[in-house]
Amino acid sequence: MRPDMPGPNVVLLTLSLVALAAWLGLDTVSLAANRIVPGTGYRVFDVIGVGGALATSLPWLALAGLAWRPARHRLALALTLVVLMLSALPAWLSLSAVTLVDSAQARLGIGAGIWVVLFLQLLAMIELRRRLDLSRLIGWALVLPAVASAGLCLARWLEPLALWQEYRGRSGQFLSAVGEHLLLVGVAVGTSLALGVCLALAMRRWPGVQRAGFGLLNVLQTIPSIALFGLLLAPLAWLSANVDWLAALGVSGIGRAPALLALVGYSLLPMVRNTFVALEAVDAGVIDAARGMGMSRGQVLRQVRLPLAMPVILEGIRITTVQAIGLTAVAALIGAGGLGTFIFQGLGQAAMDLVLLGALPILLLALLVDALLGALTDILRPGGAE
Amino acid sequence: MTEWRRWAAPLGWLALLLAATLGMGQLEGLFRWIESDSRQVIYERADFLTLLGRHLLVVSVAAVLAILMGVGAAIAATRRWGRDFLPLVSQLASIGQTFPPVAVLALAVPVLGFGTLPIIVALLLYGLLPIVRNTLAGLEGIDPGVMEAARGMGMSGGQILRQVELPLAAPVILAGIRTSVTINIATAAIGATVGASNLGDPIISGIVNGNTAYVVQGALLIGLLAISVDSLFSRLPIATRG
Amino acid sequence: MIDLIHVTRRFGAATAVDDISLSVAQGELCVLVGTSGCGKSTTLRMINRLIEHSEGEIHIDGQQIRRFREETLRRRMGYAIQSTGLFPHWTVARNIGLVPRLLKWPATRIQARVEELMALLGLSMEAFAGKYPHQLSGGQAQRVGVARALAADPDILLMDEPFGALDPITRESLQDELRELQARLHKTIVFVTHDMDEALRLADHLVVMHQGRIVQQGRPLELLREPADDFVESLLGGEDRGLKEAALLPVSQRMLPLGPRLLARERIGQRASLREALSLMLWRHAERLTVVDDDDLPVGELSLRRLVGARSDD
Repeated sequence: MRPDMPGPNVVLLTLSLVALAAWLGLDTVSLAANRIVPGTGYRVFDVIGVGGALATSLPWLALAGLAWRPARHRLALALTLVVLMLSALPAWLSLSAVTLVDSAQARLGIGAGIWVVLFLQLLAMIELRRRLDLSRLIGWALVLPAVASAGLCLARWLEPLALWQEYRGRSGQFLSAVGEHLLLVGVAVGTSLALGVCLALAMRRWPGVQRAGFGLLNVLQTIPSIALFGLLLAPLAWLSANVDWLAALGVSGIGRAPALLALVGYSLLPMVRNTFVALEAVDAGVIDAARGMGMSRGQVLRQVRLPLAMPVILEGIRITTVQAIGLTAVAALIGAGGLGTFIFQGLGQAAMDLVLLGALPILLLALLVDALLGALTDILRPGGAE
Repeated sequence: MTEWRRWAAPLGWLALLLAATLGMGQLEGLFRWIESDSRQVIYERADFLTLLGRHLLVVSVAAVLAILMGVGAAIAATRRWGRDFLPLVSQLASIGQTFPPVAVLALAVPVLGFGTLPIIVALLLYGLLPIVRNTLAGLEGIDPGVMEAARGMGMSGGQILRQVELPLAAPVILAGIRTSVTINIATAAIGATVGASNLGDPIISGIVNGNTAYVVQGALLIGLLAISVDSLFSRLPIATRG
Repeated sequence: MIDLIHVTRRFGAATAVDDISLSVAQGELCVLVGTSGCGKSTTLRMINRLIEHSEGEIHIDGQQIRRFREETLRRRMGYAIQSTGLFPHWTVARNIGLVPRLLKWPATRIQARVEELMALLGLSMEAFAGKYPHQLSGGQAQRVGVARALAADPDILLMDEPFGALDPITRESLQDELRELQARLHKTIVFVTHDMDEALRLADHLVVMHQGRIVQQGRPLELLREPADDFVESLLGGEDRGLKEAALLPVSQRMLPLGPRLLARERIGQRASLREALSLMLWRHAERLTVVDDDDLPVGELSLRRLVGARSDD
């Protein structure tokens, strides 16, 4: 084998072949006569016939071919192909909608095939981005064509898409749910950050606080969220019934107050742990030098310890925020609002697309926050130092 | 530390869990005080032992599958023939970590329907991630000098894996399994909202009906279960070694 | 300049430093040497109060160090350590300017001082000022560490195994630089090391410590010639002592004026050590060497007999 001809890219090869199998073998869309009845699945050849199905498998084979001899320009070509195929998924849905839907009540569901293919395409994109050494920003930019394509298709042809219908039925409600969700997460993370830093500093000062604090927070963390939310109902209900000013503040047994309390409780452990570890992990030699040079305790903390601990503290904020986004969904059970409401409403009404309307944005939010805070950590890491 | 004292804490928690499960009825007076408005204060749609059993069943089936698949995948991705997959697998494990358990559970229902199956699948998927991540970290974190020495002594790939890599990585892998199981005990409770019957039932039912006593009963048992399991893990000899 | 009077330090029941007395004169380079855990670092760290002494008194310029605020005291002394302790989030220039900034010097003066120090330690401003510590080699990082310690022009410099983590070649060149620097700046330096060769190379005043006590102190040659006990002797390297002593003496001390005989073919500089002269003789099978001055002009000669001969001088 010539040295400039690397061996096949096994990852990309596997991904494209598995994706092809999923594309041809699983239902890509389902059609239901109305909102409640379960839909009938349609595979690719059910929609456009065997010839068409074979035609749609050509890009996959091309991708596998490019993976077989992965020189750099071929990988770039493969990446372009993946981006195009990703953008073609909404078009496929549109085509199915135009071909299959015949009544105004009928709803088009997204089938397992599409989800699997979408997932594998994203994996292929991650793999290619890494092989081609593209920056994280470009990675995100590569999703934009698909987003644009989805937007266009939704506006023109995807009227019958069930998920879209659920959204249009409650677009105002959806936006305020997103707002509530973010507000709860923001307040919980902000509060736990302030408390967490103070607690971590206190723990460094007094070892007793450290043992007790971590013990308590660890136990708290093992209590399932749903149980903690439930447990807070009663005491808060009692408080709001008996303490006037709390009731005036809007504290009541159900709703935001118990949700926030529980969220802060859960957020404290990762926050405190990361802050504490970050402050402790600063190289002892650096601290020794700082004190030996005549910096005061405050100066050492502000100018040396905190800046050096910052990446790990930010990591803690990232973990906490992502976790809080998920927990806030559970908080909908006790009436805290947010996107979880749709999930539990949907589960209650057996309306799966409503569940999706709640779950998908939560997933996206978590990914987005994760990426943003990850990028921030990279920026704040001074001089690229470890 | 004697063997007995080592296991005292987890056994104590387990005993407490069993006592609470079997003797919940005896505490009626207490619950009546908590929830004086309701006619019925002890959850009776199913007895607590059955609920506990189902809860454990779901979690352990998911955990066993997740351990087999997760450790297997991580081992495969660190062998020479699987190295190509390593970056993707580790990135997948870290991205997957950001998926909230509720969202994963909610997404499993449309595909798999209501009942116990979607919960097992969701718990399996979600539980995989910490196991994969920690197994990778454990295997990758082994001192290259040790690996070099093992190869230099003429150990085969399989021998290195069984006698060097896995024992050295065991504490980290075990920590991953512990995280995975602890999270899943809690997540399984949310499964009650998608029709699985387990210790989450009394909680959901209590929230829906405004009966705090039910909530307390469910929460108490799940909390005890989580703490017992966590405490068991922390006492395993592997976890404390080194 | 620095006086330790019956100083003791206890950590709980353990005594790390046990009743030591030590005077370091102005402009002297004092090396504390000993095995790990002998209390040498503790002694050093008591001088800038990173560790407080339990008993006794420590004076700087005749004043008890407890009378100063800790920070004020430390800002008056330079401090360099093995791990360099450079702040990883600051550039080289900012690291060097640390103490002047703590002392609230005006920015222009700090800038000028940083440039001066970087030139002094052979670090080019363009190449290094904007770099971060993790981009430096071990030797460069240690140079920056020394520059940072010198930044506010302190009279006293405390150095805790500053060259301990470097390879032998870099270490030797930094030792030479430190000697040169000291010849120019006349700081009072307390230097801790476990490496006896380093101690012998650098010390004006050598202090051997063992189990928290000073077992012997004095000029390096004195210790080499009359070790107080077996411990000092073994630390000084037993059989190698002759060579170690030869390494401390310059050729100029043993050479004879040029005689009537022909000049020997092999030459050696008058500043070279007797050890180097001996090595040259062995290597070239020569019993006589011509000694030359800095301009390579013959100024004397050295014979093997004379080299190994009785100590008439020094």
